[in-house]
Amino acid sequence: MEDKSKRYEKIQFLGEGQFATVYKARDEVKDKIVAVKKIKLGTRQEAADGINRTALREIKLLQELNHPNIIGLLDVFGQKSNVSLVFDFMDTDLEIIIKDNNIILTLGHIKAYMLQTLKGLEYLHNNWILHRDMKPNNLLINREGTLKLGDFGLAKFFGSPNRIYTHQVVTRWYRCPELLFGARNYGTGVDIWAVGCILAELLLRIPFLPGDTDLDQLSKIFQCLGTPSKEDWPAMEFLPDFVQFKTCPGTPLKDIFIAASDDLLDILQGMLMMDPLKRVTATQALKSSYFTNKPYATPCHMLPMVGDKKEVIDQCKRSQKRKLEGEGGGLVKRLVF
Amino acid sequence: MDDQGCPRCKTTKYRNPHLKLLVNVCGHSLCESCVDLLFIKGSGICPECGTSLRRNNFRLQLFEDAFVEKEVDIRRRILKDFNKKEEDFPTLREYNDYLEHLENIIFNLANNIDVENTKKMVDQYRKENKEFIQKNRLKMSRDEEYLEMLIAEEEREAKSRRELDMIEVKNEKNKKMKNKEALIDELMFSDLPASAIVAGHNVEIMEEKTTENTAPSSMFSSGTSFGFSKADGKVPVLSDLGEEYIHTPCIFDMLGPVAPTEKDVINNGYLQNIREASDSDRGGGYESRMACQRALTEAMCGLFLDSENLT
Repeated sequence: MEDKSKRYEKIQFLGEGQFATVYKARDEVKDKIVAVKKIKLGTRQEAADGINRTALREIKLLQELNHPNIIGLLDVFGQKSNVSLVFDFMDTDLEIIIKDNNIILTLGHIKAYMLQTLKGLEYLHNNWILHRDMKPNNLLINREGTLKLGDFGLAKFFGSPNRIYTHQVVTRWYRCPELLFGARNYGTGVDIWAVGCILAELLLRIPFLPGDTDLDQLSKIFQCLGTPSKEDWPAMEFLPDFVQFKTCPGTPLKDIFIAASDDLLDILQGMLMMDPLKRVTATQALKSSYFTNKPYATPCHMLPMVGDKKEVIDQCKRSQKRKLEGEGGGLVKRLVF
Repeated sequence: MDDQGCPRCKTTKYRNPHLKLLVNVCGHSLCESCVDLLFIKGSGICPECGTSLRRNNFRLQLFEDAFVEKEVDIRRRILKDFNKKEEDFPTLREYNDYLEHLENIIFNLANNIDVENTKKMVDQYRKENKEFIQKNRLKMSRDEEYLEMLIAEEEREAKSRRELDMIEVKNEKNKKMKNKEALIDELMFSDLPASAIVAGHNVEIMEEKTTENTAPSSMFSSGTSFGFSKADGKVPVLSDLGEEYIHTPCIFDMLGPVAPTEKDVINNGYLQNIREASDSDRGGGYESRMACQRALTEAMCGLFLDSENLT
């Protein structure tokens, strides 16, 4: 097998997280810019335990997914104990777009971002996968304006009748009430709620529900949207960590988003339903009149981009699934644990 | 994962987040305090299966499934002796045969098949290859050395990056100091009015700042700048560009019969075969039809797969 670490030539250090360092690199074979995420070995003890769990999740799920709005895992290679993942290179993310005060987001822009997010999410949910960490920071955007869902370190299959899921997922500001009440089995609603919060953030340009603690998050939600009654969410009181909150009438969304059209408010209301069973699904959201009405979603290439100097755009070819190189029959059958 | 619990005292991970499950050679788990209690003399029997165990053989349970844990344990033990490498065999075929033999032994031990004979086999191998095992153990440590080297390198890289950052911060501080001193000098010795000097100085600093800010055109969230900066953003023109979005359902080629839809699952009695969603499940947004539909989809996908269609 060829040495793949030589195939990717490091260009620039991009960032560092808890589990990995990310480099911008050039793929020598395809002459294309990619992002290489090198999983850290960590401490001596962690290295002895083997591959990091989040990396394993990411590899496992992303290898089977192929959609224009999901980050493409182009390659995985290892040198001894080091594992590196090769992704499509993405220039920026939605968090930067939202925080960049030089960018003005029109309704068409917002619609285009929502459309791409929901398309990616619909694909995931149809494949029985929950992303579980939807936030602007994980919606990656490239120079062509294509938005892709990234960071599958928390993603997991859903719909197992007996499996118990942890409720400590999703960044707090985007966490839905059922997770905050400690639900141990949940569905696609957790991602949809987060998308609702992202839509609100796109309109407001500040986080919609910035709670300081889990309890504060719940009270912020109820203060803003109203405490749900038994009719609103019948099974609420059976959730493990349920606590009764003071009744708040809530503010109508129309008074918070004064400039938003009715179809937008409808879809937002649907995504921010307290009862996860009443919350819209990605498919229902995509079918709603919000996407068929004017103003239409701005075409991808006209979406705003951070930075003033637009460098010559590397005309990246669409990510194709890399065909595995034929390695012949000489494969070692060793099982490594 | 939260429902992991000690089978003896019934404490769960949820009630005691610090719960540590330990496991011994028999593959049954116990929590740390139960181990402390039962094995106070250093040895005792497993409350589940009655195997006599030693206290110092207890290890932290890494996997939810105790059987996996047992296999990993056996594998570790066996691999200590069966430590031949690919280089030790003349052909790949022989190496693969050796690996298969190894897997057979592990499988037998893990599943309690023919344990006596297998153990004899292992003992025999150990006797026959005594020297070889010793030699290879020494070699193994070379692999470990390499790993240590990698870790050290990673640490070094992180350190150097941190140092670079520190130097940059320091430089910036120095620059600010120098600027300040220059301003004071100018105020002392120049004939111009003070306000003009200060104004000129401020412009210089501003210019420096703007040249710094425009540097990276692509960056990630960790490096965003906040606050209002220069407001030269062009106001985008509202336009009717773009087109109406018409939703098309996702269709996957499942290579199998079409799985029942949500409606079919609910109306045709499929749900009788699956655990009914509890109240708390429903509160969290889980419905039994989800599990049912997923199971049916997974059961049917790939049934029509034939090797000729593989690309």
